[in-house]
Amino acid sequence: MASDPDAALMVAFQGGDERAFRSLFEKHGRAMVSFCHHFVRDQARAEELAQDVFLKLHRSAARYQPTARFKTFLYRIASNHCLNELRRGEYAGRRAAQDRELAPPDPDTLPAGTATPEDHTVARALGGAVEALLARLPEKQRAAFVLARLEGLPYDEIAAVLETTVPAVKSLVHRATVAAAAALAPFVSAEDEVAT
Amino acid sequence: MKHVLDDLTAYLDGVLGARERAQVEAHLEACDGCRASRDRLTGALSVLTRLPHAAAPSAAFERRFYERLEAERRGRPERPGLRDWLTWRWAAPALATAAVAAMLVVTTSRQRAHERALAEHLDLLENYEVVASVGAVETPEDAEVVAHLDQLEGRR
Repeated sequence: MASDPDAALMVAFQGGDERAFRSLFEKHGRAMVSFCHHFVRDQARAEELAQDVFLKLHRSAARYQPTARFKTFLYRIASNHCLNELRRGEYAGRRAAQDRELAPPDPDTLPAGTATPEDHTVARALGGAVEALLARLPEKQRAAFVLARLEGLPYDEIAAVLETTVPAVKSLVHRATVAAAAALAPFVSAEDEVAT
Repeated sequence: MKHVLDDLTAYLDGVLGARERAQVEAHLEACDGCRASRDRLTGALSVLTRLPHAAAPSAAFERRFYERLEAERRGRPERPGLRDWLTWRWAAPALATAAVAAMLVVTTSRQRAHERALAEHLDLLENYEVVASVGAVETPEDAEVVAHLDQLEGRR
């Protein structure tokens, strides 16, 4: 895939160029922490998971086929790793405790002027509401929602990452977006509803 | 009238085909309920664009990663399969050489055992020049026959 510079770096790494791998880590490491954070909602654990993802990438470099976009390959490793992390028993209790802390905000408690994006208090509340929403979504919906809404991947790429079909992704993203519409209603202004 | 709720997100994401898109738009013109749903979804998508950026990784994130990578490298082959390949590259000829040597040892030792058996009977051959000169004694059984030639001759 000549148009994907990351794929070229990955091929160079397959040929033994460690600097190419470093470039990939420097380019995507930070985004990967953010991606993992959407699943575990713990900064230190998100950093560890992101490191795990790149260690796996380092180990499994030989399996990469240049016909696939590098980002798809990376997010597949990351999604599987994060979903496995969520399935671990020890996480269940911790998540339940976090979910109680991250209950959806009461609209009456929000400060005035919620339509002002510059307001840090509102931004923090919005961040908390999205985290609470993600915590309530089933695993696959969460992964599809994060990939579509927060990482900006197109449906066909999400299907490749989650190893499913485009119609399945369409359904997952739709259900998660309907849930988001209910959870984020307190933050929606009249202007938001006409912004297509 | 078939509602289009299930297609609204795909519609807003611009992933519907031209025909489906036209059907959804025609329905939205006529259905207040689906229009309200579309507006709620549009509002949520708009709010998500205002989501604050995730916190930056800690200062130790990168250093810690390279430490882990280095630790892992010490515990596994430098490149996938490289150690195995190096091992077999040298081990295979060595094993082949050892196998050939073992076969030679076995063959030689069997041959020597046979020669030792003949040697034990050499003293018998000294008295039978005719037999020895034709090289007819090759096995211990031959030597046994030679040892009793006098008896055979006696029967004649």
